[in-house]
Amino acid sequence: MSDPTAATGAPASPRPRYKRKLSNYLLDKKLQLRYVLIVTVLSGVIAGALGFMIYQQRRAASESIEKDLAALTQKDTSQDQFQEQIASDLASEDQALVYKMVGVGIGLVVILSLYLILMTHKVAGPLFKVSMYFERMADGRLGVVTPLRKGDMLVDFFTSFKEMHDAVRTRAQDDVATMDKAMQALRDAQNQGDYRGEAHSKLTEALEALEKHVADRKSKLTDFPPRSA
Amino acid sequence: MNEQQRKDSTPTPKPRGAVPYKRSWKNLLINKRYQLRFTLFMVGLSTLLMVGLGFWVMKVANETTEVSATSVRGTPCPKIPTIEVVEEPAPVPMKLPDPDAPAPAPAPAEDKEQPAPDAPGSGSADEDRPRVKVQIDESSMTMMPAVPTVVPVPEDLGQKVVQHWTCELKLAAKLEQLERGRLRILWVLIGTGLLLVLGLAGYGIKMTHKVAGPLFKVGLYLGKMKNGRFDKVYSLRKGDQLVDFYEHFKHGHAGIVQMQRDDLARVKAVIAAAEGSGLGDHATIAELRDLVARKEKSLE
Repeated sequence: MSDPTAATGAPASPRPRYKRKLSNYLLDKKLQLRYVLIVTVLSGVIAGALGFMIYQQRRAASESIEKDLAALTQKDTSQDQFQEQIASDLASEDQALVYKMVGVGIGLVVILSLYLILMTHKVAGPLFKVSMYFERMADGRLGVVTPLRKGDMLVDFFTSFKEMHDAVRTRAQDDVATMDKAMQALRDAQNQGDYRGEAHSKLTEALEALEKHVADRKSKLTDFPPRSA
Repeated sequence: MNEQQRKDSTPTPKPRGAVPYKRSWKNLLINKRYQLRFTLFMVGLSTLLMVGLGFWVMKVANETTEVSATSVRGTPCPKIPTIEVVEEPAPVPMKLPDPDAPAPAPAPAEDKEQPAPDAPGSGSADEDRPRVKVQIDESSMTMMPAVPTVVPVPEDLGQKVVQHWTCELKLAAKLEQLERGRLRILWVLIGTGLLLVLGLAGYGIKMTHKVAGPLFKVGLYLGKMKNGRFDKVYSLRKGDQLVDFYEHFKHGHAGIVQMQRDDLARVKAVIAAAEGSGLGDHATIAELRDLVARKEKSLE
């Protein structure tokens, strides 16, 4: 699965346009399938119940016609074949109606399921993307947040996430700058003061640790590598 | 730390332990765009199916009713036998028959009736005939109207009339029953459709609320994080969805908190070392102390 949190802009090579993949449509199976199942089952039940009513009515009409025909041709044995023919035609028409309705019902369920997967994907997609950013945040990585794809839902939620992410990132960059500046200033002060002894070595150790920490922070605050990389 | 000391006004979600949270129907629509879109899709689709298939059902039901009604109308009922009224025979002329006289030519009944005794031209031949002399004395008998003719009726007439009208009434009831059945289908469809739409609307909003709720809660935390506050994250309510997503959020939140703690640890170590080296009054150390104070406050 491609990483939707990957940065958009690589200056050297333009980022290829992201295309939704069929395999990626079920991002949050629990959320998506729940809604898909509810709507599909509901539609199936409505269509099934009403379809059964249609069949029942149609069958009742056919039986009424057959009964009347039997009553009309009761005394004429030469009409038996005609009567059987009509009864058989009516029965096969009713059967064809059942097949037609079952076919339409299955088509409806399949088309509806696909459409609902697409629809719920527009909710699951942004959630998946934000989840990926949260996992990066857990590692202290605060890169650039790329916008949602066209047609995605939860735009308001994503906007508030992006604002938070940008604010935390800016604050982290400021903190790194402050620490970097303090580190340089303390190094200068240490060199000018000609300090010796344990206190000096402790400060040197602390500054070295801070330097590593700042370097680590800086690396994590840089933009994510582009998708093509 | 009390609420007034806080920099921002973002409300903190309450912990689950203190007061059990109860969902209120007023708060059900917290993300209108998402919730209404999914609910309306569900309701719209069901309505479309109900209306489309309902019309089909009614079309077939009307046809079936018509076929059955035609069949019922064509059912023969036993007929009521017709009663023939027999004409009253003409009265016999009150005269004695003449054995020598030739058979008189058939004449209209009126002519045969009692001719007026002193009618002109009554015929001289008749005068010689012996006549019956009737003397009518005054009688105390009362003249009664003529006794009506007794019409002969079949013996099973009553039974057949009952059978006929029973059959007619049964057919009428059957037709009415067919019409009632047709109307019942219509009302069942309308009633079911309305119930379905209302039920689905309620269920849809409640179902989407279980997704919108966690998003709303995360949104509150995001607002706090934006303002530099990384306080404790509480769990979701029972029955909420997006549990995995919420875990990712908690993980990310914990990562940011850990970042602040790591920064604090490093900076505090530098401050301590600088103070030990006699650089405690350096301007940079004052800046670092501010940084530490701000980070500690953000973690409260």
